[in-house]
Amino acid sequence: MSLQRIPRWGVARVTVALLGLALIASGVFGAAGALPAYAVGTVHSPIVGSGSTWSANALQAWIRNVWANYQWKITYSESGSTQGRNDFANGTSDFGVSEIPYAIANSNEADIRPSREFAYMPIVAGGTAFMYNLEIGGKRVTNLRLSGDTIAKIFTGVITRWDDPQVKVDNPALVLPSIPIVPVVRSDGSGATAQVSIWLRQEHAGLWDAYCPKVGRPLVNDHCGVTSNYPVIPGSGFVARSGSNGVAGYVALPHAVGAITFVEYSYALNSGYPVAKVLNGAGYYTEPTAQNVAVGLLSAQINEDTASPEYLTQDLTNVYTSADPRTYSLSSYSYSILPTALGGSFTENKGLTLADFGAYFLCEGQQSAEVLGYSPLPINLVQAGQKQLQKVPGGNPVIKGITDCNNPTFSPDGSNKLANEAPYPADCDKQGPTQCTTGTGGAKDTPTGAGAATGPGAATAAGDETGAGGGPAAGDGQQASGSEGVLDAETAPVIVAASPQSIPVAAVSLLPSLAMAGFGGGLFAFSAIPPILGKRGRTSLLPDPADGIADTSRGLTRS
Amino acid sequence: MSGPNILEALDVSDGSRRQDDSPRQLSTVRGPSDTVFRVAAHGGGVLVLSIMTLVGLFLAVRGAEAIASAGPSFLTEQDWEPNSGRFGIAAVLFGTVAIALIAIVVALPLAVGTATYISEYAPLGLRPLLVGIVDLMAAIPSVVYGLWGMFWLEGAILPVAQWISTYFGWIPIFNVPNFNPGDPLATPTVFTASAFLAGLVVAMMVAPVAASIMREVFAQAPIGEREGALALGSTKWGMIRSVVYPFGMGGMIGGAMLGLGRALGETIAVYLVISPVFVIQPHILQTGSNSISSLIALRYGEASPFELSALMAAGLVLFLITMLVNFGAGIIIQRSRSGAAS
Repeated sequence: MSLQRIPRWGVARVTVALLGLALIASGVFGAAGALPAYAVGTVHSPIVGSGSTWSANALQAWIRNVWANYQWKITYSESGSTQGRNDFANGTSDFGVSEIPYAIANSNEADIRPSREFAYMPIVAGGTAFMYNLEIGGKRVTNLRLSGDTIAKIFTGVITRWDDPQVKVDNPALVLPSIPIVPVVRSDGSGATAQVSIWLRQEHAGLWDAYCPKVGRPLVNDHCGVTSNYPVIPGSGFVARSGSNGVAGYVALPHAVGAITFVEYSYALNSGYPVAKVLNGAGYYTEPTAQNVAVGLLSAQINEDTASPEYLTQDLTNVYTSADPRTYSLSSYSYSILPTALGGSFTENKGLTLADFGAYFLCEGQQSAEVLGYSPLPINLVQAGQKQLQKVPGGNPVIKGITDCNNPTFSPDGSNKLANEAPYPADCDKQGPTQCTTGTGGAKDTPTGAGAATGPGAATAAGDETGAGGGPAAGDGQQASGSEGVLDAETAPVIVAASPQSIPVAAVSLLPSLAMAGFGGGLFAFSAIPPILGKRGRTSLLPDPADGIADTSRGLTRS
Repeated sequence: MSGPNILEALDVSDGSRRQDDSPRQLSTVRGPSDTVFRVAAHGGGVLVLSIMTLVGLFLAVRGAEAIASAGPSFLTEQDWEPNSGRFGIAAVLFGTVAIALIAIVVALPLAVGTATYISEYAPLGLRPLLVGIVDLMAAIPSVVYGLWGMFWLEGAILPVAQWISTYFGWIPIFNVPNFNPGDPLATPTVFTASAFLAGLVVAMMVAPVAASIMREVFAQAPIGEREGALALGSTKWGMIRSVVYPFGMGGMIGGAMLGLGRALGETIAVYLVISPVFVIQPHILQTGSNSISSLIALRYGEASPFELSALMAAGLVLFLITMLVNFGAGIIIQRSRSGAAS
């Protein structure tokens, strides 16, 4: 036969068609399998949050986790606590995050409680760290120590140079250079600023009160007020930047030698810069590690009055003066502001997402707190937070108890495990003539070298580091007992507990299933339709000319 | 048969002409496509104007509360503490104008040079590429310039600022009070986040806009005059000076002023670079500056209703100034074009 006939169903075409069918099948069955994963009659609607940059690193990590594991879409904009409270009040966000409650006492700002019904829920603890950039003879200093009084004087413009005698008293082992101190503060409304100003007002009222007239702020109740907007004396060498990333980014600039800022510990870890060890009530200089923060917050007074609008908010007065040598003085909690009534754009479906997200981070999420540079919440706040979560309309959070919550602070007897196991500070961290050489914060692995540390305290650092850990931390197997000295529980390799403990079987969600089925359908159509509808297909339906003759001849013969 | 009819018709027309001597009414019957086009064209023009007016009105209405409360001190007060009732735009307005002026002083020579090179000197094959690059520069989002200024330019420009302050510190605006050139340990941190840095970043954004306007105007310089100048023995540079620049003067001024308009309103790049201070800061190399638009970007999200009103009032001032500058630029460009054609 002269006509070249390509087979209608070639190997390639059949393969493509089968692949298409397989994709359709898996898409359809995958979607069918995914459907029961959603709550009956309700779906997890995307929610939007706004607020604190202080706790943003933890929130963003949790948000990534729940998206990867459950496909709950949560958008969080790091805009500062003041804007977070404002956005929540205006109804433009579904939840807010702030370090301070609405209408905090003795404040300069008019921060009115919203008409929207809400509840506070603690989300994570952490230390407001003093991250700095200082070099001596071209070598970075990583073991700076500062007393509260020195910090207050730095941030009120009283101490302006690093070689000030008071800074030298704190750092006997450092030969500090005669360069100006550049205090870097937040230019936007910030919860970290508010926390620092509360601390300044309570602990260093004299310095803070003297600062107010210089910047033209009126006194509130006879003292300089609590503020979210740090006031700056023009031309004083202060630098103001917006957002935690802004201030931390400025300090981490190579040319910003002499800069110091207050920012959450995680930002120092992320940018690889050290933080100052702060003198606590027991006479030790401590770093805002997860353990030290947990110990410090044992002294925090939480408002336990469920009827109060300030229920669960913190009073940190006793933390500032806590007599435990492991305390970090500027420890605090961050809060989520939860809506407790439907309205505006807040629906039951959003409530479901919010409540489940909250239930996730109160338990599993707290595991990653330490790695991220925060400190996990203790059991009393987790339980109170879980109660607050149940007020979110539309939510059906899974409330977990001590045994299955996986929170690292939980212990069977109800005490704070993390604080119990916290190592005691080394002898060289005690106020006095000695000073540890070990690095801090993000520069943990960079000890301050002999070039910088030439004072009498330098020699005592190695070996002494773990010496004082004889307290409750003794049983900790990770405690390095080697001669290195710099290896302690904090520097031991950390394992990131990034995945939640109780994930439902990761089912394919609806959208990928549809896409898969659609793609399969396309493939099948691409391979199957041309042979059926195409010209070649139609012509092949016609009788073959040669066969036709034969047929007719056959027919003829038959007839 | 048709004769009398024609006469009658003539008679009638003569009679009507005698009665009133006004021109006859031309009635135009427009097709549907014409009508649609006219409505769309008129509508577009009216819409733009009304939106502009409404923006101004909106700012005025929303800002009225703050302006009424502050009174005339709104223009003279430097501090920005709306909660304490002490707020005014003196400092931010000064900062806005200072940053814009620095930007334009840097951008103008850059833009003139770029435009001259592209339109006169660049090899023909290279020209489209250069035009593309300049247009690309104009298309880069300002936040990218801001991040670049914040993380790279700041460190790179510090020695320059230090040098200027060391040798030209006797000029008041280049003086930095906290900086002692004789101190070997002096840190350059006093020069960070300054109006100078913000001005440089904004200049990078303004220059391409101004350069593309100037390039187009330079290209329109008449060929006859160019050849005339060359025939009279002028060098190429002489020809550019005597023909291209005079013909393009209007475009140069207009481009600079359009750039100034953009520089005045530049928000996010300035917001990222500066360290806001609320005082008139005449030392442009020193840390701290401010601008109206960056103040709004910084504070609007966290503002109480009254603070928002104060920000709206500041926005109104910026709106008026920018509009003045742009109208001025428009008038200059228009005049120069009619002059260049004659």
